[in-house]
Amino acid sequence: MIERFEPVWQRWVGRRIPPASRVELDHRRIFILPTRVGGTYALILFLLLLVSINYQNSLAYGLTFLMLSVGVLAILHTYRNISGLVLSGGHARSVFVGEPVQLRLRLESTGHGHQAIALGWDSEQLEQTDVEAERLVEVGLTLPALKRGWMRAPRLRVESVFPLGIFRAWSWLDLEQTVLIYPQPVAGTMPLLQGVQPHAEDDGHATTGPGVDDYQGLRLWQPGDSMKRMHWKAWSRGQGLMVKEFSDLSGHDLCLDFMALGGDIEERLSRLCYWVLELSQRQQPFALKLPGFLSAVDSGDAHREDCLRQLALYGVRA
Amino acid sequence: MGRKLDACLNAINEVVLGKEPQVRLALTCLLGGGHLLIEDLPGMGKTTLSHTLARVLGLSFQRIQFTSDLLPGDILGTSVFDRDTGQFTFHPGPIFAELVLADEINRATPKSQSALLEAMEEGQVTIEGATRLLPDPFFVIATQNPFSQGGTFALPESQLDRFLMRLSLGYPARSAEKALLLGESRRDLLPRIEPLLDHSELATLQQQARQVRASDALVDYVLRLVDATRSQPQFAYGLSPRASLAILSAARAWALLAGRDYVIPEDVQAILPAVIGHRLRERTDPTGHGGGALVQWLMREVPVL
Amino acid sequence: MTSSSLAKPIPRVSLNWLLIAQALVIVPFALHVPVALIVLWLVCSFWRIQIFRMRVRMPGTWIKSGLLVGTAGGIYLARGSLIGLDAGAALLIAAFILKMLEMQNRRDALVLIFLGFFCIAVGYLFEDSLLWGLFTLLPITTLLAALIGLQQSGISSKPAATLRLSAKLLLQAVPLMLLLFLFFPRLEPLWSLPQPSNKALTGLSDSMAPGDIAELSKSAELVFRASFDGPLPPRTQLYWRALTLEQFDGRRWSQSSRAQVPDAPLWRREGERVGYSVVLEPTGKPWLMTLDVGQTDLAGVRQMSDFRWQRRRPIEQSMLYNAESWPDAVRETVLSDGARLQALQLPAKGNPQVREWAADLHRRHLGTDALVDALLSYFTSQPFRYTLKPPSLGANSIDDFLFGSRAGFCAHYAGAMAFALRSAGVPARVVAGYQGGELNPDGNYLTVRQFDAHAWVEYWQPNVGWRSVDPTAAVAPARVEQGLEQALAADEEFLGDSPMSALRYRHLAWVNSIRMGWDNLNYGWQRWVLGYQGQQQLKVLGRWFSGFQAPVFAGGAAVILGLLALWLFKPWRRESDSQLRLFNHFERLLARQGLKRQPGEGAQAFAQRAAEQLPAHAGAIRDFVGEFEAQRYAGADGSAGALRQRLKSLRRSLPWRLSAVRGKRP
Repeated sequence: MIERFEPVWQRWVGRRIPPASRVELDHRRIFILPTRVGGTYALILFLLLLVSINYQNSLAYGLTFLMLSVGVLAILHTYRNISGLVLSGGHARSVFVGEPVQLRLRLESTGHGHQAIALGWDSEQLEQTDVEAERLVEVGLTLPALKRGWMRAPRLRVESVFPLGIFRAWSWLDLEQTVLIYPQPVAGTMPLLQGVQPHAEDDGHATTGPGVDDYQGLRLWQPGDSMKRMHWKAWSRGQGLMVKEFSDLSGHDLCLDFMALGGDIEERLSRLCYWVLELSQRQQPFALKLPGFLSAVDSGDAHREDCLRQLALYGVRA
Repeated sequence: MGRKLDACLNAINEVVLGKEPQVRLALTCLLGGGHLLIEDLPGMGKTTLSHTLARVLGLSFQRIQFTSDLLPGDILGTSVFDRDTGQFTFHPGPIFAELVLADEINRATPKSQSALLEAMEEGQVTIEGATRLLPDPFFVIATQNPFSQGGTFALPESQLDRFLMRLSLGYPARSAEKALLLGESRRDLLPRIEPLLDHSELATLQQQARQVRASDALVDYVLRLVDATRSQPQFAYGLSPRASLAILSAARAWALLAGRDYVIPEDVQAILPAVIGHRLRERTDPTGHGGGALVQWLMREVPVL
Repeated sequence: MTSSSLAKPIPRVSLNWLLIAQALVIVPFALHVPVALIVLWLVCSFWRIQIFRMRVRMPGTWIKSGLLVGTAGGIYLARGSLIGLDAGAALLIAAFILKMLEMQNRRDALVLIFLGFFCIAVGYLFEDSLLWGLFTLLPITTLLAALIGLQQSGISSKPAATLRLSAKLLLQAVPLMLLLFLFFPRLEPLWSLPQPSNKALTGLSDSMAPGDIAELSKSAELVFRASFDGPLPPRTQLYWRALTLEQFDGRRWSQSSRAQVPDAPLWRREGERVGYSVVLEPTGKPWLMTLDVGQTDLAGVRQMSDFRWQRRRPIEQSMLYNAESWPDAVRETVLSDGARLQALQLPAKGNPQVREWAADLHRRHLGTDALVDALLSYFTSQPFRYTLKPPSLGANSIDDFLFGSRAGFCAHYAGAMAFALRSAGVPARVVAGYQGGELNPDGNYLTVRQFDAHAWVEYWQPNVGWRSVDPTAAVAPARVEQGLEQALAADEEFLGDSPMSALRYRHLAWVNSIRMGWDNLNYGWQRWVLGYQGQQQLKVLGRWFSGFQAPVFAGGAAVILGLLALWLFKPWRRESDSQLRLFNHFERLLARQGLKRQPGEGAQAFAQRAAEQLPAHAGAIRDFVGEFEAQRYAGADGSAGALRQRLKSLRRSLPWRLSAVRGKRP
């Protein structure tokens, strides 16, 4: 039943609290309901009232009414504690699939302080923080990066039960935070562009990267290896899937090629990703060739970011 | 007055080609009453810029070339025994000028550096027990080579803080460089520049700059910026109150230069890289640069309104 | 709060306040629970602190269950039962103490805090004085502070700030609480519950030996306070009847078995009516104090055959009742045979001298009234002494008193006179109660204390009914007219056993005025707070809000909450940022056109960009931003209205249809 209402609720929240990069919590965005502790509190109040009635004790009545009033006031205080808080999403760094995304959120007080503000993606795992009056606090939340491409952070839950814990004021915000997720790097042989090679025959300084020139031996098959290098004979002998490995002796610029790899798209992108990182670390200039895209031969951070971006967005850009 | 300032800017831009933003910032710095640090490779026109500023503003100009064997006395001046009168007479050093160009300041030893920087801070020098006032107005334009160059003594943070701004001129644009190559030598142009302001006018302008209105909302923005440097993890340390004052006075001067009598956040953003770039250090890299990236981060992330 | 957050450890602030609150809750209970519990508490607190400082570990299951069983057993031994309010309170306190020891996470702390509130409420059943009520504000505040501390996020919180917040919260809750207190309908008890037993209450009992009342006179304990609707009756008329003693065994006067019959006697109102209200302290006895002949419409109270008023349950908590009396009423002109026999009952033998003397007097004086006068004149004519320390009497105590020692307290006189009247064949009985009282001029009410205890005599004649007579008045008129202190001889010290009692220093004006003021405060507390039940509430509400209770209550609550909300949120403070709100509005307008302000982009830069993209509306855009800048940065005193005006004209000029682009991402 609850699942069936979920989309209705989501749509309603989406209309009521439209996405925005900077949100001030106000009466339109704050919901408030009693918590389970609030239920216990009500039960205690009821017991106290029974004692007061049965013993006709004015002081016990007084205590009951005092606690009832405090309970009612707690609504105002809980609401006040969270209202006026300004949230905005910070810049998030791109990560690779499988790594946690660090999303930074800024909490800003525009007037009074806010205590025990809990933030998180679901109500079970929340980070708590205080925001002092007229101060700015930054909170980091993590999300698992599951899929390559643009990742949109889910709606953020902001809540607080301060001061008494008997009411919970919360909101459900979309701060329009997006992160680019790169493919997961997977090690393997270097997928070099076949055939056409630039002609820079250098003075014998040989790159010993994987290549096509020299047979090196056999190794176990990994996803993404080209079918052309399969050692079918070994397979037919029942020795499992083996791949023939070659190394490249050339000294010219490298061009990583999507088509040089086998396997499905994600596996190929993962292998390319690994080599983009690897070559960038070696500060070796390289080019990247994807269907419909060919980068310049270059090195450096900007080039690496550009290549990773292409890999991340390959085939997903609408 | 506003027209005069525009005229000054134009005059300088005629000599220093293709550096309008930097020229404007340099003038802002002087209007704000601060000292300027220019960090660049040799030959980028640092000397030309300072010399032109001095000429246009009608200031007396001295240049001190800092070398590793420069002594404080070479900057401040020394007393020399005069055989005719039988007394010591004081020969003022090059610092007794209204605009002092301290060239390649980071090549001198810290001792000589601090002689200059103390004079900048105090507005007076004490030599052999006698205190001598420096001229008013008194500006220092110091240049330094990038850190990577050999044989340099880097200025410590405390000294850097005394410069209102740090600029970097950078390579000229292609067209500007072409004009430079085709035109007359810049040095030859200099003597022909007429002073456009006298001392009293300069003083009035500085006074006006101090009176430019900074509203509550604007001061709040400055405070937000400063607060962010103090609370965010990527900053090695936060900005000092002197830095917040520097931001405000530079923003005022910038607003005056733009012909406004109040400051808007855009003024703050315009001067921010120059004013706090040299005062910030990244936590992960507390010695190097990275100030620029931090300033960009601040301008992007700190709410403006 | 989710279940995971309930399992988190307790913040330090909360634990600190919880320990303090526990002390504040438990220490005053020391009088009502076995002393061993206090020791247990000290041990447990020390243990808990050591746990907190990581010196010792939490107790294991065995230790915990051992402690639980041991404590319950101890309470059973000390109280003789595990049922009843006393034992129940002890068990509650024990649970409160032991829970502290096994408190690990926030859920445990919550249980402890709620238990604490409950303990305070139970404490009110034992003690409800003004001072106590004020004192309990301390544990309430600290418990609330502990509850707040439980929600705080830990290390940086300062304990004092938490307590301040708690006090603030309570203070803000007071108006609403008063409103509820005033209007919440007081229900009759839903079911009967064990009442607290007040141990060792002094006061009148249902039997009286000659020395008993003298013993009582050593106590300055408060019995009741009374305020009168009209003027205060003269002191000599202030005879507060508690009960009658009709059975004499030669030494003690005690209540007869007939007195338990709830059989209202016949009487006729006559003369002036006296209206008054009484706040009676707990006596542990069922009877109320009234002037003769009293009447009250209090629920659960009946008039008994001897004109006393009695409640079903003993009075264990102070209670307030309104009563009216007719001092000149004619009481029971016809006496039933049983009653007559009881009123003439005498032991078979003993005190022969009195019997003879009385019979003789009866023969000499015709009529009962003359006989009574003769008896009284005997007391005045002979050298009788009024004293707290009479010499001891022999087996024929009345003989010895009347013809020997001639020194006694009111009980001696009343007993002797009733005996004499019965011997003469006149139905008579001893009335025990209080006489007089101290007038508090501040509050115009009467305070009656134990040393005002008194005994006098009633005798019956056909057609006239019962009449009261006070032999003590004949011996020591000052006792009745002024009070005990004035009536005692100079060598007898008033309240000799309690040197610290402020009553002993009444002659010091300032001590007395402080004492009177304090007493007045307490009386007000009892009358208006403790006594604010059932009828009293109806009376007050009827007088002030007759017929409008519901609307007044609802309106009051709304006003209180509204004012609190205003005070908390201070909406006028936000007015200054109406500029910013309007600018946000402006941004939303442009966002519909696909123009979004970049992070860190200032108003002017944004306006510049917007004007370039929407050249047709450049004027309106610049106009708005110009005004915004002028107001916000140039210090122009433009109103929000001017800004709103410009925003409106911009909105009108913008094409509405472009809003369809809204959903599209740039």
